[in-house]
Amino acid sequence: MNAQPRHNVVANALAQIGACGLFLLTILAAVPRSFRHGRETVRQLWFVGAMSLTIIMVCGLFVGMVLGLQLYYVLSIFGGTAASGTVVAIAIYRELGPVVTALLFAGRAGTSVTAEIGLMRATDQIAAMEMMAVDPIAYVAAPRFLAGLIAMPLLCCVFCALGIFGGHLVGVTWLGIDNGTFWSNMTATVDVWKDVVNGVLYKSLAFGAVVSLIAVYQGYTTPPTSEGVAYATTRTVVASSIAILALDFVLTAFLM
Amino acid sequence: MSQRNSYAVGTGLFIVLGFAALAYLATQTTSVANSRQGRSYTVEAHFANIGQLKERAPVKVAGVRVGQVQSIALDPAREAADVKLSIDQRYSKIPVDSVATIYTSGLLGDQYVGIQYGSSAKSVADGGTLALTRPAQQLEEMLGKFFGAGGSADNLGGTYLLKARFTNVGALSAGAPVKMAGVAIGSVQSVQADPVKLDALVTLAIDKKYGQIPDDSAAAVFTSGLIGTQYVAIQPGGSPEPLKDGDEMVLTQSAMQLEDLIGKFLVNGSPGDKKPGEGSSSTPPAGKQ
Amino acid sequence: MTDPVRATPADSALVRVRGLTTVLNGKTIFDALDLDIPRGKITAIMGPSGTGKTTLLKHITGQMRGDAGEVWVDGQNVPALSREKLFELRERIGYLFQNSALLTDFDVFENVAFPLRQHADLPEVLVRNLVLMKLQAVGLRGAAALMPSELSGGMARRVALARAIVFDPMLILYDEPFVGLDPIALNQVLRLIRTLNETLGITSVLVAHELEAIKQVADHIYLIANGKVVAQGDPKTIADDGSPWTRQFFGGEIDGPVPFQYPAGDLAQSLGFVRGQV
Repeated sequence: MNAQPRHNVVANALAQIGACGLFLLTILAAVPRSFRHGRETVRQLWFVGAMSLTIIMVCGLFVGMVLGLQLYYVLSIFGGTAASGTVVAIAIYRELGPVVTALLFAGRAGTSVTAEIGLMRATDQIAAMEMMAVDPIAYVAAPRFLAGLIAMPLLCCVFCALGIFGGHLVGVTWLGIDNGTFWSNMTATVDVWKDVVNGVLYKSLAFGAVVSLIAVYQGYTTPPTSEGVAYATTRTVVASSIAILALDFVLTAFLM
Repeated sequence: MSQRNSYAVGTGLFIVLGFAALAYLATQTTSVANSRQGRSYTVEAHFANIGQLKERAPVKVAGVRVGQVQSIALDPAREAADVKLSIDQRYSKIPVDSVATIYTSGLLGDQYVGIQYGSSAKSVADGGTLALTRPAQQLEEMLGKFFGAGGSADNLGGTYLLKARFTNVGALSAGAPVKMAGVAIGSVQSVQADPVKLDALVTLAIDKKYGQIPDDSAAAVFTSGLIGTQYVAIQPGGSPEPLKDGDEMVLTQSAMQLEDLIGKFLVNGSPGDKKPGEGSSSTPPAGKQ
Repeated sequence: MTDPVRATPADSALVRVRGLTTVLNGKTIFDALDLDIPRGKITAIMGPSGTGKTTLLKHITGQMRGDAGEVWVDGQNVPALSREKLFELRERIGYLFQNSALLTDFDVFENVAFPLRQHADLPEVLVRNLVLMKLQAVGLRGAAALMPSELSGGMARRVALARAIVFDPMLILYDEPFVGLDPIALNQVLRLIRTLNETLGITSVLVAHELEAIKQVADHIYLIANGKVVAQGDPKTIADDGSPWTRQFFGGEIDGPVPFQYPAGDLAQSLGFVRGQV
C-alpha cells in the first residue's frame, strides 16, 4: 500500500489523486448496478444526511448569528446596517453555507464513512460480500457516494436557512435593525440563479461529490488494520478540507 | 421490517426538510419574492435619464412597494427613456399630476422609481402616462464637486509654507495632499490645535511652481471618495496679489460633514420624507413634454 | 442449487488444482501445486503457519489469481472466468471466514437473509421461513433479533455458517473454523460440519490446525509445506508415512524441515565476533 518512498510528496499526492479519480470511475460504473440496492442508499442517506442534521443546524444558526453581529458593528460605522440582511444572505449563500457545511460534513459523515468501510475491510465484511457474489463497490461504495451527493445540497440548504434565521435573530430581534429593511434589501439584491443555484446548489453538489469520494476511497483503500483505519480517518478530514477550499476557489472563479 | 421503515421515514423527512429549506431560500430571500404580485396595471413614464434603473426594480409610493419596473426602452423620437411601470391593482388611484422620480436606495443601493402623489382628482388610467417625471439624480454629480481626484504631491523639492485656520479639520492629518483644481500641489505639513483661538492651525507646504495663488483664495477640507481620506483643496480667488511664504489664508471652509450633506439626499426608501412640493417646484421636471 | 448440467457426476473431484504457482512479494507461496478435492467428502488442508492454506481457499473462490496453473471448480477454470461467471460460481460456494465477517449493520436474521435478498427476489414469507430454518439448523433461531456485537465467538461462527448454507451450496470452505472457540463451541461447530456434509452432501474443505478435531471429521487430509503437497491420506494413515514433514507436524516437534530459526546469517558474525579473536 505505502510502497512509494515517502520523500516524493508531490508524486505521492498525484498518485493519490489519480487513484482517487480511477476509483470515481469505478464507482460511477457501479452506480447503475447499485440501484438494485436502493434501500441501502436510503439507509446511508439516513446515516450521512439525517444524522448530520443536528450539527449542521446548530452551526448554521451560530454562523448566521456571528455574521449578524459582526456586520452590525462594521456596517454601523458607515450607517449601513440596513444592508446587513443582504450581506448575511450573500455571504452565506455564496461561501459560508457550502464551505462550512462541507467541512462539517467531512468531519461528521466523511469520517464515519471512512471508519465504517475501513472496519468492514478489517473484519472481512467486504471479502464476505465478494464471496456472497455481492459487488462491494455497488453495495458499499456507490450507495455511500450517492448518499453523500444527495445529502450535501440538502444539508447546505438547511444550513443556509438557519444562517439567515440566525442573522435575522441577532440583527433584527436583538440589535434592532428594521425588519422590513432587512428583508427588502435582501430580496432586492439576492438573485435566485446567481446566489442560490450557483452558490448553494452547485457548490454543495461538487463538495458533496468530493467529500464522499474521498471518504469512500480512503476507507476502501486503507490497510485493514486498526491503525490503518485511524490514519485513513484523519486523512479523510485533511484531504477533504484541502479539496473543499481549493475547489471553492476554482468554482468561484468559474461560476461567479 | 420496522427497522427498515424507520430509516425510510426518517430519510424521507430529511429530504423534505432539505427541499423545504431550498424552497424557502429561493422564494423568500431572493428577488423572486419581489416578482410575485397580484393583478396589476401598467403606467408609462418618460425620463430624461434613468441612471442605473433596471427592469424589475421596485416602484414605491411613500416608501411602500406598489409594483415594479416592467420594461425600459429608449424612445428615439424624444431622446428619453420610456419606462413601463407595472403597479398593483390595489393602488390604481394614482392622481394624474403625480411625479415619478428615480431614487437611489442607500448610498450604494439600487435605484427605484418613487411616485409622489399629486392633488388632482383624476387618476391615471391603465396604459396611461405620468406626465411629471424627474430623472435619476446623479449622486456622483452632486458629490463630484466635493470629491477630488486621487494622487498626492511628492515633489517637495522646493516648497513654501502657508497657514490656514479651520474650525474643524475632520480627520485631516499631516501628510495629506493639498490640491488645486483636483491636482496635488503640495501637502499638509502639520495640524495643530491653537490653544488661544481654539481652532485648528494647518500648515501647508506648497510647491514653489505654484507661487501665484491669489491671496483671496479659499482653503477647504474635503474628502476623497465616500470613505476616503481627507485633503485640503484650494479654490483660487481673483485677487492680483499672490500668497507669499508664511502667509495665512483668510478664507477657509472646515471639513464638511459628508454625513450631513448626504443625509438630505439619501432617501432611504421614502420620497415621502421630502417636503411636498419641494421637488417639482424647485427644479422643473425634466421629462415634461 | 447445483446446476445438474454442469455437474458431471463422472468427475469424482469437485475441485482440481493443477500446477498452481503463486509468488507474493517475492515469496513463493505455491510451487506447481496439484491437489484434488473429492465430491461429497470433508477434506482438510493442514500445514505450518504461513504456508498459504487460506491463500489456497482464495484461489478456489477466485479472490486471488495465481501466476500460473489452473484451478478447476465444478468444470470451470476459475482464473479464466469473467466477473459475472465468477459471481455465478460463488453463489454456489459457501465461505466461512475466520472471524465470521458478519455485517455489523444488520441483526442475525438480516445477516442470514442477506444472500437471499441480494440474489433472489423472494416473498418475505419465504425469506423468513428459509432463514429461520437455517438458524434452527445451527441452533440459533432464538437469537434472530440479536446484533452481531451481542454474539459470542462461537455463536457468530454458527450464524456465519447459517449464512454460508442459506443457498444450499455445493461447496463450503471453512477457514480456521475452530480458532478461539471453547471446547463446547468447538464440538458444536464440529458436529455442524459433519451434519451438513452427511445430510446435504455438501463438499467441505477445512483449513485448520486442530489435529484432534480434524481427525474426528475429515475424510481426507492434505499436508502442505513449501508450496507443495508433502503428504496426503486419511486421518488414520497419514501420520504413518514416515516422512520428516509428517513426523514433525503431527508430532509437534520443535525443529525439523520447518526450522525453529528463521533464516539468518551466522550468529557470531551478527554479534560482532570475528572468528579466531577473543
